[in-house]
Amino acid sequence: MTEPTPETGLARLEEAEAEVSGRDAGTLRRSEPGPERPGPQRREREVRPHPTPLQYVLIAVILCVVTAIEIAVSYTEGDIPDALIVVLLMGMAVLKFALVAAWFMHLRTDLPIFRRFFVLGIILAMIVYVIALATLNVF
Amino acid sequence: MATIEQTTEIGAPAHRGASPGHDPHATATGVPNTKLAMWIFLASDCLFFGAFIATYLLYRGRDKVGPGPKELFDIPFTSATSFILLMSSLTMVLALAAIQRGDERRLRIWLLATALLGATFIAGQVFEFTEFNHEGLNLNTNLFGSTFFILTGFHGAHVTAGIIWLMSLWGMASQGRLKQGDSEKVEIAGLYWHFVDVVWIVIFTVIYLVPQPAAPGGG
Amino acid sequence: MTTVAGALTTVKRRPLLLRRPTKTTGAFSWFTTIDHKKIGIMYCATAMLFFLVGGLEALLIRLQLAGPNGTVVTAAQYNELFTMHGTTMVFLVGMPMAVGIANYFVPIMIGARDVAFPRLNAFGFYVVVAGGIFLYSSWIPGINGVPNGGWFGYTPLTDTPLTAGFLPGRGPDFWTVGVVMLGIGSTTSAINFIVTILNLRAPGMTLMRMPVFVWMMLVVAFLTVFAMPIITVALIMVFFDRNYGSLFFQASAGADPLLYQHLFWLFGHPEVYILILPGMGIVSEILPVFSRKPLFGYSVVVFSGIAIGFLGWGVWAHHMFATGLGPVAISAFGVSTMLIAVPTGVKIFNWLSTVWRGAVRLTTAMLFALGFIAMFTIGGLSGVLHSVVPSDTQQTDTYFVVAHFHYVLFGGLLFGVFGGFYYWLPKVYGRMLDERVGKINFWTMLIGFNLTFFPMHFVGLYGMPRRTYRYDAGLGWDAWNLVETIGAFVIAVSTLIFLANIIVSIMLKRGAVAGDDPWDGRTLEWTTTSPPPDYNFADIPEIEGRDAHWHHKYTEDEEGRLMPLPSGGAAAAAEGDGHHDGIHMPSPSIYPLITGLGLLPLGYAAVYHSFAWLGVGVVVLLYGLYAWAIEPGTEPDESDHGGGAPARVPEPVH
Repeated sequence: MTEPTPETGLARLEEAEAEVSGRDAGTLRRSEPGPERPGPQRREREVRPHPTPLQYVLIAVILCVVTAIEIAVSYTEGDIPDALIVVLLMGMAVLKFALVAAWFMHLRTDLPIFRRFFVLGIILAMIVYVIALATLNVF
Repeated sequence: MATIEQTTEIGAPAHRGASPGHDPHATATGVPNTKLAMWIFLASDCLFFGAFIATYLLYRGRDKVGPGPKELFDIPFTSATSFILLMSSLTMVLALAAIQRGDERRLRIWLLATALLGATFIAGQVFEFTEFNHEGLNLNTNLFGSTFFILTGFHGAHVTAGIIWLMSLWGMASQGRLKQGDSEKVEIAGLYWHFVDVVWIVIFTVIYLVPQPAAPGGG
Repeated sequence: MTTVAGALTTVKRRPLLLRRPTKTTGAFSWFTTIDHKKIGIMYCATAMLFFLVGGLEALLIRLQLAGPNGTVVTAAQYNELFTMHGTTMVFLVGMPMAVGIANYFVPIMIGARDVAFPRLNAFGFYVVVAGGIFLYSSWIPGINGVPNGGWFGYTPLTDTPLTAGFLPGRGPDFWTVGVVMLGIGSTTSAINFIVTILNLRAPGMTLMRMPVFVWMMLVVAFLTVFAMPIITVALIMVFFDRNYGSLFFQASAGADPLLYQHLFWLFGHPEVYILILPGMGIVSEILPVFSRKPLFGYSVVVFSGIAIGFLGWGVWAHHMFATGLGPVAISAFGVSTMLIAVPTGVKIFNWLSTVWRGAVRLTTAMLFALGFIAMFTIGGLSGVLHSVVPSDTQQTDTYFVVAHFHYVLFGGLLFGVFGGFYYWLPKVYGRMLDERVGKINFWTMLIGFNLTFFPMHFVGLYGMPRRTYRYDAGLGWDAWNLVETIGAFVIAVSTLIFLANIIVSIMLKRGAVAGDDPWDGRTLEWTTTSPPPDYNFADIPEIEGRDAHWHHKYTEDEEGRLMPLPSGGAAAAAEGDGHHDGIHMPSPSIYPLITGLGLLPLGYAAVYHSFAWLGVGVVVLLYGLYAWAIEPGTEPDESDHGGGAPARVPEPVH
């Protein structure tokens, strides 16, 4: 009989998360020889080292650039459709959120239990509030 | 054998008779107690801010009287303060990196820098609130006033709590009571601080950057 | 062991701090204890006190409604009574009672010596106490602030400003601030439970070997952590609407008062499961012991508990079917409500199968557990009726709903809790409760409960509205209401019998000595002494399977019959007097009390807009927090045994 680990119940959430952090982390992977994605064989207890200060600064530079693009996009109001602006802005906000969470909060390298709980909170919040707003005829 | 255990901000020694706080491998999941508790708290706080943001979205553009966001927002100014808060996340991780390699001098510098950047953000928020107030927006002016002030106000309260926390750590570091082995304390504070930052990333986009609804009365 | 420790030992003097309390016995030690067992006892005692208060409120309500045109209380007083009854029973009885039992037994059941955050645990308790004091202080003459807007506090009734309010007095102010305080307390204790259960399990105690009660408390803790912020936001909005003129629920400004109902029930429905799941957990512990069979379908019971935890987030709008949500929303929430009956029903069949063909011993604890199944099934069935929208619309705001939720919360949670008391108090105090009195207690409780609440189904279907403070004669409600009032007094008598049993058997020590394992139990709490030592286990147990203690005592022969092991479990008992000196338990601390009670002045500051109270509260709170952060969790041992035995650190497990 297999004994489920604490995380089996939340395994699905991890996939969604790995997708997010894997994508935006990809550009900076060169200096990181570690495994790209936790494979099924990876032991939970292997903690990869925290990023170096140089990597932190690089992430901050990316965050600055994205913020600059965000503000620029917000000034295109009237030139391009509002819906497109909203999509672009939300996309960039998610990107920034994921960058900070993955690198500065170390979700990328820490044990997956943390990001599972955090992502659980985020997803739960999004689902219940979107449904509540839908029943209040916002959309 | 030494028996004093690490204390954390609002936390206690991890385990009676043992001190897994020092050695994450001593816990059943392999993660330190305080860090797990902080992440659960942050997950819980997602629901907290989510409710305020949902309320803001629900009432967006429903006002019958102004002033609304179109007249009030000063995007360059708020962009600047948002940028400052974003950069405080960088100084925060640099403080963590410093304590992890035992560089106490840089730890103090970066902790203080983070707190000061946070304080600058709060100062900007106070200034913004005062400006809006002068232009006729209060908590009881319209729904925009209610939702805007409460959402950003509670975020500001979180930042303020974070500043107090960071200054406490800075005080401990100045007395030499924050050593390399205490890096978890800085890490936990950092998690809180980054969370406040990412919440602002969302708030900044949702409130300030997206195209604003037409001004009340203007159609 | 660590450099940090070495550095801190030199800082002997800590200016501004109070002298560290050291005593672990005596009356004063209860205020400074951070022992999870003592905190558990205090939680249960507090909850029992509020149970009596809330019960008195219920008796007044029943006296008023005993006959038509009752004159016992005025309409305004009646509003206060049902509001405080509901708020008390949910936040000050149901939640603290479960938290108290779990505080005592969860660490022991997972083979830990303490919770993850002992001082935070004490803090959570004192915040709950502060919240209770705060809510009930509104009854002090001259304050004029007894909550009177219902335990749900719907807007726009509650959020009109004080001066122009529909509700007289400061009721909603006291209610919002008080409930936020209670929310802070339950959130901290929930975080503590999650970390404790995940991190402090003994070696070999995998998640799927944990007792079901521990599992249910884990689910409850997650529900609490995620549900409390939502109501906090809703209450903050109501508070600002009333006190600072914000417009969150003012329809005249374009707002939607229905938003409040969404936020409230987004919290409120998970809250229902926060209340009932501990009861399910307790019953899942009692039934196998007194049937001498393992729990039928352990993993199914666990996973249906988790499923309830998830589905509980998708059914909140069934409290709002009468508000005009539109056909799509109503249908969706109706279906999800039917769906959640499935995991609940699965559990009931698992419990029945556990008892089936078992060697059943009808002890009082077992009777309460069986009563739980029967009463909860009735409550569950009337609950499923509410998922049928036309039926629900008919029953909304009638006594039918009152009947339903009393069957699940009283017949469910409280029967479970009473069963838990009869089952576990011998462990807590080392004395058995009297079984004959216990059986009288059970049968009077069962009869009184059904007399009180079953007729409510009828009067509800006859159209008697909830929260009505009087009714005319001749509507067909008179006789049933009288029966209900008689039943309520039978419950009161039964409660007094229970208290008398505790006083005589435990306080006066007339009960038989319990011994370590009076019920031939299956889980770890029965391996240690009654009452357990401070450190619970001299040696952290190694777990090899579910029902760990059972397998210490019994094995099976070739034909599958139970065979007692020669050692009879004695080997596993916490003997170990020789070497427990090396176990360092955290020292008592006064700061959780100071910090927790610091919220009290802040509460009055919020209600009265008083900067003086604010100053007092902030100073006390900050002092408590700082002193808390500075003092070490465990003082350097004055009687350190020169190294002592190595503290036993549990090995990591999955």
